[in-house]
Amino acid sequence: MTREKVLSDILAQVPGASAAAAPVKDYPTVRLSQPSDLPTAARLLKDELGFDYLEMVTAVDWLGPTKTEGFLPAVTPIPFAAKAPALPVTPAAGPDIAYRPVLDLLWSFGNLKTHLKVFLRLEVSREKPEVPSLTGLFPAADWQERETFDLFGVRFSGHPNLTKILTPDFLQGHPLLKDYVHQPDEFDAD
Amino acid sequence: MSINPMNSTPIRSETSGLKTDTLFLNMGPQHPSTHGVLRLGLTISGEVIVEAMPDIGYLHRGVEKLLETRTYAQGVVLADRLDYCSAMSNDLAFCLSVEKLLGAQVPKRAQVLRVIMAELNRIASHLIFFGTYGIDIGAFTPFLYAFREREMVLDLFEMCCGARLTYNYIRPGGVASDINADWIARCREFLDFFKPRLDEYDTLLSFNPIFLVRTQTVGIITPKTAVAWGLSGPNLRASGVNYDVRQAEPYCGYEQYDFTVALGKTGSCWDRYFCRVVEMRQSVRIVEQALSRLASGEIMAKLPKVLRLPAGEAYSHIEASRGDLGVYIVSDGGLAPYRLHFRAPCFINLAILQEILVGKKVADVIAVLGSLDIVLGEVDR
Repeated sequence: MTREKVLSDILAQVPGASAAAAPVKDYPTVRLSQPSDLPTAARLLKDELGFDYLEMVTAVDWLGPTKTEGFLPAVTPIPFAAKAPALPVTPAAGPDIAYRPVLDLLWSFGNLKTHLKVFLRLEVSREKPEVPSLTGLFPAADWQERETFDLFGVRFSGHPNLTKILTPDFLQGHPLLKDYVHQPDEFDAD
Repeated sequence: MSINPMNSTPIRSETSGLKTDTLFLNMGPQHPSTHGVLRLGLTISGEVIVEAMPDIGYLHRGVEKLLETRTYAQGVVLADRLDYCSAMSNDLAFCLSVEKLLGAQVPKRAQVLRVIMAELNRIASHLIFFGTYGIDIGAFTPFLYAFREREMVLDLFEMCCGARLTYNYIRPGGVASDINADWIARCREFLDFFKPRLDEYDTLLSFNPIFLVRTQTVGIITPKTAVAWGLSGPNLRASGVNYDVRQAEPYCGYEQYDFTVALGKTGSCWDRYFCRVVEMRQSVRIVEQALSRLASGEIMAKLPKVLRLPAGEAYSHIEASRGDLGVYIVSDGGLAPYRLHFRAPCFINLAILQEILVGKKVADVIAVLGSLDIVLGEVDR
């Protein structure tokens, strides 16, 4: 079974699936169209294609780059040249990057026999991010979904214990969202 | 499902006429056997665990958030501090991911140096496990032996990069500094010293009858459970699942090295322990091969001083000391990663505790926890 075969199998059997326009480099990446397709795709991967190893669950917030004021000192290409202009820390959005108010979820499944890997991705709205949980199929999703909930606020419906896992109980909000406001402190760069 | 003689059912109160109740027992976060700040909320009925709830996050430093506002050169320093017992592996995973997105070619000599350092670090890391696991079970002496040998590895690291724990040695594009003939001689000296020590460890701990009784039938993980919970590294291979990233998706030229992957039979605590002991032997073999094929050449690719990655996403993973360490990197073309995620093997390995501790005796908790070999710096990130 090759990468192309895996990709075509998923595209043929999961409704609404398409090859991702911006794939994870060198890996087959499938974009799902709606949250309800996720369990179908995961079950197909697990039961029929032998991808029984859930490797990673994570997310990306595409709202825009984090403001780096206070974090990153200006970087010059030639450190000791006095007049060298500082490089801009974040570039203006180019044709390759489309900042948009969505959370892009990412699952990675591995096949331990053929050593293939496939990535599933799914966009959800930032206002009400909710997707079905995969804990029933893959116990490995348990803590990783809790982590994604904690850091991004994604609700995994059907998760038996969707509670905070990494951040302290008193912390409100979800720190990896890009609209998180940095509170200046004494450790900030000048 | 095999019958585990160490499992037993609690005494029923109806027949004894005594009133029994479950008890909530807090283990940690400041407990010497939790190897850091891990809290285990145990609900016990007599001696038997009814429910186990690991509570983590005490060491959460928000590394992934920090990295979004740091340059790639600064990122290596932060990656170092995740699994501080094998910092070379973290550097390597981070740099491989950056190089993949950048499309950079790493010089041959740098690749061999990376293999040498990663494998020496694996030995140092497994030695910590060997020593501390002995202490967990009640054997203090192996710890002293393990740390004597580990000290020699750390001296080697200090010689080549000046640091003993967080090295910042593997950088995007290659490695920071070259090694000299003196270093190679010292390294060979260490390997010759270390090989007979491994046999000594077997007589000291591996086949010690008390140690065997404490570990051989305890904490059994079936291959199916191990895969379902996403275990990786020695924990997965101890259950008999042959998956090693060094062979499945070779990086740094691992396909050219001759080594065998240590596999366990039953998935017990002892198997997990012994897999690591065998892996140390294999690491010695790999380092020997790498030293012999070390040809002169560049140690750093020609890259700009300030890295700016093209917009895109990349994922690369390596076989770190504790499992499959992956780095998922998203760049928007800026000086800092737009998003960076670590697939931390310790974090994922630890989750299985809530399933395998149920039904075990309180006395076995330490044996099972210790055998998973977690580093809280990586669990919490």
